Amino acid sequence: MSSMLSIRDLSVTVAGKPILNGLNLEVGAGEVHAIMGPNGSGKSTLAHVLAGRPGYTITSGTVHYLGRDLLTLPPEERARQGLFLGFQYPVEIPGVNNVYLLKAAVNAVRTQQGLPEVDAFDFLTLVRGKMQLMHIEDSFLSRGVNEGFSGGEKKRNEILQMLVLEPRLAILDETDSGLDIDALKVVAAGVNSQRAPDRSCVLVTHYQRLLEYVVPDFVHVLVRGRIARSGDRTLALELERRGYDFIAGEAA
Amino acid sequence: MNSVTDRIAEDFASAARLLPAIGHAATRRRSAIKTLEARGLPSSRDENWRYANLRSLERVRFLPAPAAEALPELPAALPGIARYVFIDGRFAPAASTPLSSGVPHAADAAADAAVIGLLSQRSAAGVAGVTEASLTETANAGTDERFALLNEAFATDGLVIDVPGAGAAQLEVLYVASAAAQSGASYPRLEVRLAPGARLQLIERQLSGGGQASFVTSAAEVQLARGARLEHYRLQDLNERSLLFDTLSAQVAEEAAYDLHAINTGAQSARSTLAVRLRGERAELSLAVAALGDRQQVQDAYAVVEHAAPNARTRQSFRGIAAARARVAFNGKIIVAPGAHGTDSSQSLRGLLAGPEAEIDVRPQLEIYTDDVRCSHGATAGKLDENMLFYLLSRGLERDTAQRLLKWAFLEDVIAQITLRPLRRQIEERLAAQLRDEALRELL
Repeated sequence: MSSMLSIRDLSVTVAGKPILNGLNLEVGAGEVHAIMGPNGSGKSTLAHVLAGRPGYTITSGTVHYLGRDLLTLPPEERARQGLFLGFQYPVEIPGVNNVYLLKAAVNAVRTQQGLPEVDAFDFLTLVRGKMQLMHIEDSFLSRGVNEGFSGGEKKRNEILQMLVLEPRLAILDETDSGLDIDALKVVAAGVNSQRAPDRSCVLVTHYQRLLEYVVPDFVHVLVRGRIARSGDRTLALELERRGYDFIAGEAA
Repeated sequence: MNSVTDRIAEDFASAARLLPAIGHAATRRRSAIKTLEARGLPSSRDENWRYANLRSLERVRFLPAPAAEALPELPAALPGIARYVFIDGRFAPAASTPLSSGVPHAADAAADAAVIGLLSQRSAAGVAGVTEASLTETANAGTDERFALLNEAFATDGLVIDVPGAGAAQLEVLYVASAAAQSGASYPRLEVRLAPGARLQLIERQLSGGGQASFVTSAAEVQLARGARLEHYRLQDLNERSLLFDTLSAQVAEEAAYDLHAINTGAQSARSTLAVRLRGERAELSLAVAALGDRQQVQDAYAVVEHAAPNARTRQSFRGIAAARARVAFNGKIIVAPGAHGTDSSQSLRGLLAGPEAEIDVRPQLEIYTDDVRCSHGATAGKLDENMLFYLLSRGLERDTAQRLLKWAFLEDVIAQITLRPLRRQIEERLAAQLRDEALRELL
């Protein structure tokens, strides 16, 4: 399996406080990895660092994405290279409408690839199709980005953006948190529809509930900024049964 | 400032005989000059005048500019809306497209309801009552409204709009500044009176006819009788060398509603003073101001709203962006007079700092002299929201594009309040151009 993402010995501090401590992770093309862990273990930090959010200091280690040094790229460049972050807390941007953002994002990738911009009509048809899959109403298109959306709508919008952008590597940061069971199924269907041999997904989650619907190839448990245990989906079930403490105990 | 008022008086003395009799009689001009001489113009030591470029007054000539010879190029007219054009304060009939030459016209319901007049055509006798009333008010003008006196002393003409009861009209007035300040000043003047229950949509533009550095002192007076409704759009788009001192005073009677929008993008330095008095019960004011400053521009606005009667309502919003070395200031003051119980006011004032050397100052002020009022205010000044910016970057947008998009979104709060569709589009195009982004056009 060719390498999609390769993280070696990654250490990160926030305001001088160590959050990630020598983390290693290999994600191959076509794989779905779940990263689980207790609150404060560094899950979201990992997702943000991969997407290039400012405010994090990398004190050691390397990250390669499709063979390139990811950490030297600005966030917009990472996105255009096919890396997507699904936000735990999607941002509301009143005054910028959803369809504009979607189109600008798609065109940013296309321009990068030397392709012409999308045809406005074809694009709307495509988006409407994906909206149906995500159970998103038509009025959504003309509304401001995430403006006045409920928590569940925001998460579905993140997945919609992912479906439209078709990233090579999707990092979904607690996309399942705050969803009821129906919304969770919709989100899971969206994620599953993206599974392909040349595309990978990293699911950051606190609970294994999502993993009943999106079955991961690998499960990793993050404790105090490094991966304390890796396994297959049965590890997630074990965590569900025994809680994080047993691994935290082992890791100590 | 003494030397400036002396020079104003000298210029006035040398020109008084030549100034046209424009409805407001010569006595009114003299009275304005006397008040100015006695009290002076505001100085930068006055708290509300820290940003206005008052020093430039030392160099300007106060005499009205001579009549322009050429007609400047003007922005496209909005379909179906009568247009009145003034160049350097003088009516330009050739550039105007009054739907009915100012005379009521049966075929067009939108424009006819208004009776349009020119100050220069108004006989002094016929408007004596109005003149006297105005005189009393301007003589008492506080420091902040002194520039209205300068206009009153030198004004060469002006538009007078009367909308009688139950009428509804739509009008546009363009004040074009074309003369260079050395050859004379421009004194646009506007008087608007709505009878009980009358309605008017009014677009008022200040713009330049060419690249001269003009000196403009404008004055507008608005009177809304009981139950009248005025939608007033003021667009200031002078060229980047011109100076503007603008004063608007408005009186809003019982149950009347004044919807005032100001979009300030132009001038080298612009100061606007908006004084609104809600004098009748349940009067309403909605004031939405957007200001964009770039390069070394100064956009300074002071809005003072007096709640003089019970149960009146004010909604005030300001969005200002200062880029490069621009200075953008908005000072919003609300005074609740004794007895104005049930006052309901809100202020949402936000400034965006978009340049390392730019300056933003937003100040809400409240003076409350009665109990039982609801006055809320929020004021923020800061940079672009980092979370929003990162969100857009994480979707692959260029940093430049993302920043412009967020500036746009920031202004949109105020722009979205423009209900006149074709005008809103014009304004959005203008703002997109100023934010220098073709891509923003797609948003329109």
